[in-house]
Amino acid sequence: MKLPNYRYLAGFCAILIGAIAILLMPPTQQDIAGWLLSITMQMAVPLVLAGLGGMYSERGGIVNIGLEGIMLMGAFTGAAVTWYLRNPLIGVISACVAGGLLAAVHGIICVKFKGNHIVSGTGIILFGAGFTTIMLELVWHQKGRGDLIVNTIPDILIPQIQDIPFLGSAFSVISPVVIFMFVITAISWYVLYRTPFGLRLRAAGEDPSTLDSAGASVEWTRVIGVIISGCLAGLGGAYLSIGFSSAFSKEMTNGRGFIALAAMIFGNWTPFGVLGAGLFFGFLEGLNYFIQIYFQVLLPYANFIAMLPFVLVVVALGLIRKSVPPKAIAIPYEKEKKG
Amino acid sequence: MSRQDDTSVEEYEQSSESKSKVVQVIAGLVAKFTSKEFINQVIWTIGSILLALVVAAVIMLMGGYDPGQAFLYLAVGAITNFDQVLWYSSPLIITGLSVAIAFRCGLFNIGAEGQLYMGAMTSALLAYIFAFPIFVHPILCLIVGMLAGAAWGFVPGLLKAYRGAHEVVTTMMLSYTAILLTSWLVGPNGPFWDQSMVSQSPQFYDSALLPLLFGNYLHFGFIIALMAVFAVDFLINNTVIGYEMRAVGNNTEAAESAGINSKRNIVFALAISGALSGLAGSTEMLGTYDRFISNWSAGLGWDGITVAVLGKNNPWGVLAGGIFFGALKAGGNTMHAIAHVPFEMVKVIQGLIVLFIAAPRIIEWLMQHTQENKDQAQTEPAKSIPRLLVAIFGLASVFLGLGIARVALISGLISPFIYVAAMILLVTSVLGVLLFIAEYSHNPIGSRLLLIIAVGWLLGGTLFWIGAGYVDITSIMMGGIALLFWITMPILAKRETEEASVQ
Repeated sequence: MKLPNYRYLAGFCAILIGAIAILLMPPTQQDIAGWLLSITMQMAVPLVLAGLGGMYSERGGIVNIGLEGIMLMGAFTGAAVTWYLRNPLIGVISACVAGGLLAAVHGIICVKFKGNHIVSGTGIILFGAGFTTIMLELVWHQKGRGDLIVNTIPDILIPQIQDIPFLGSAFSVISPVVIFMFVITAISWYVLYRTPFGLRLRAAGEDPSTLDSAGASVEWTRVIGVIISGCLAGLGGAYLSIGFSSAFSKEMTNGRGFIALAAMIFGNWTPFGVLGAGLFFGFLEGLNYFIQIYFQVLLPYANFIAMLPFVLVVVALGLIRKSVPPKAIAIPYEKEKKG
Repeated sequence: MSRQDDTSVEEYEQSSESKSKVVQVIAGLVAKFTSKEFINQVIWTIGSILLALVVAAVIMLMGGYDPGQAFLYLAVGAITNFDQVLWYSSPLIITGLSVAIAFRCGLFNIGAEGQLYMGAMTSALLAYIFAFPIFVHPILCLIVGMLAGAAWGFVPGLLKAYRGAHEVVTTMMLSYTAILLTSWLVGPNGPFWDQSMVSQSPQFYDSALLPLLFGNYLHFGFIIALMAVFAVDFLINNTVIGYEMRAVGNNTEAAESAGINSKRNIVFALAISGALSGLAGSTEMLGTYDRFISNWSAGLGWDGITVAVLGKNNPWGVLAGGIFFGALKAGGNTMHAIAHVPFEMVKVIQGLIVLFIAAPRIIEWLMQHTQENKDQAQTEPAKSIPRLLVAIFGLASVFLGLGIARVALISGLISPFIYVAAMILLVTSVLGVLLFIAEYSHNPIGSRLLLIIAVGWLLGGTLFWIGAGYVDITSIMMGGIALLFWITMPILAKRETEEASVQ
């Protein structure tokens, strides 16, 4: 008998052990566990969305290291538009558009002008960080941090489960973006593995010449992949500024773009893998908040604990398994000349 | 062998004997700097910088700053504070060399920042815990800092070579590790905290500090940076290790089949790269600071990447790029103080330069079509001039569209019409760029774009009128001009074809 993939097995075991542990706890601690689950999901949203974005881009064969800059752009645009128009929905949509536009610049440089993907991505990061800081000063006339935004993304309230010990604190107040995160993961799986576009995208990343001989445009497929990645990363950024917190501050993504890249690599470039890895990194980030509220003895070690996920990534990448990226990644596609 | 060949060989031998070695080296340098490839690269680099400045000017216009004044004070600031320029540039040069040497081996050391922090941290520890004689102390500190940086680059090298872990991810993760680790070490209750309100280490011994060269800023670190440039140039071009590293960077498989151990070279390149980053951190610690403050560097490692990209991974190019970015930073302070443009503008300019240099074909495209347009303007002016006018109109609508959209957004009028008008004008100005590109490169899609832009201007102007209550003449006028162009262009083109058919 062939054993199932050990990663799924490990995830299943972790969930099972967690569920049993929660069942055995007294109700007050069950509430704390539910709160931890809730903060895990909230911290995971930007990571999973940006990670899925990175997956769309890299499955198409383009390294998108500029996720950090694109997320900042989305965070700023979402905050500024919501601040001006007082409508979070328009804010979220324009954050998607802004992220998509910045990613399109990256895509055009990589595909049309055949630039170096990583150098271009670095440019995107620098541009995003500098541009949003300048615009922050212009929009709110303040340095470092913008004004408080009143009309943030409203949470969905489920009063029916409010009093149930674990589920109440975990799910009774939930952001629509958190639900969207799970939905978009499933949609991504469907798009990637069950639609013609997904097949083309994967072919563009694995073997572009085959795709070309099948009559589809490698260039357009790749550019569309990058634009989707920008939209998702922009949405993830917008969740940071008008969902989780309610103001835009300078360089507020704080390395989440890179953690999202790491989540993508951990998830082996698959949607559900990205979701799992993103939730795991979100949990490690949520632990920080947990310590600040429930374990103040450890507060001096906050920086040390914040360091641990990064060490973990390096150890896991080095010791546990080799990561296998798409084959044609970062290689510009040159059409063979006719004749 | 004929007689002629004999004489030429003799002449060659005589000439090579008679010339001294210095003259040969100079002749080699002259040949290098006048070669076509080098001049092309210089043109591309300068072209990228100019394009980046143009886009930065557009962004400044959008933000309501005066780009002319900003660039003027940027230049004035860089020239008057030349010691500051060199002071800013010395760590940039060293981190640039660090990134460049990894690039030469085909590796992207994106985590130079972390290696810099580790180098700075260890040399800071040596500088305040132990006391040594005056000359020995800084040298020891620098060496220890280099070793720590090398260790921080060695680990990703090992992982890359033997486990296939991508170095971009591992160096990045180790960079965050280093930043958080050091801020814990010198933070409250950390082992190296100085018991003050701020996260910092105790002050260094005076014997550890690097001497000032002149002025209030410029310290010995610049000399170290120059020495590093010479050393890296020698290492890359004149040693076996450098040759092997370049071979691995150019083509790993070919190098492998030629008997080069690519794994060892990858580890070695990242270790050297880390050592250089650590050196940059140490010189900054001992020269500029007198204690380790958490999060002190503010992105020196990132700047190193831009410097390496600008210098095309050549040590001398890195030197020039480092001084250029040092000038941008020093001038940025003056720009901020006098023209009131935020200092982050420097970061935007850096990002744009990197974006344009990443795609050398943009400049190639521009030069090629400029040549084509020039040729066409000489042979058949009636056909090309209207098209060029439309291209210029596209650029004008970019500037005006951004300007009016900004006025509309900042006017303080709260009306949905105003916002929609501003959005439409923003889209129109983005389309203006596309119109310029299409018309400049003879793309037939231009006429359709022109119609869309005309509609955008008219619609935006009308909505602005409804929202604000007064007519914005510019947008209506631009819409009119665009419509006029759209109507006359096909007529002109038709006349041209008729004339051609008559002839």
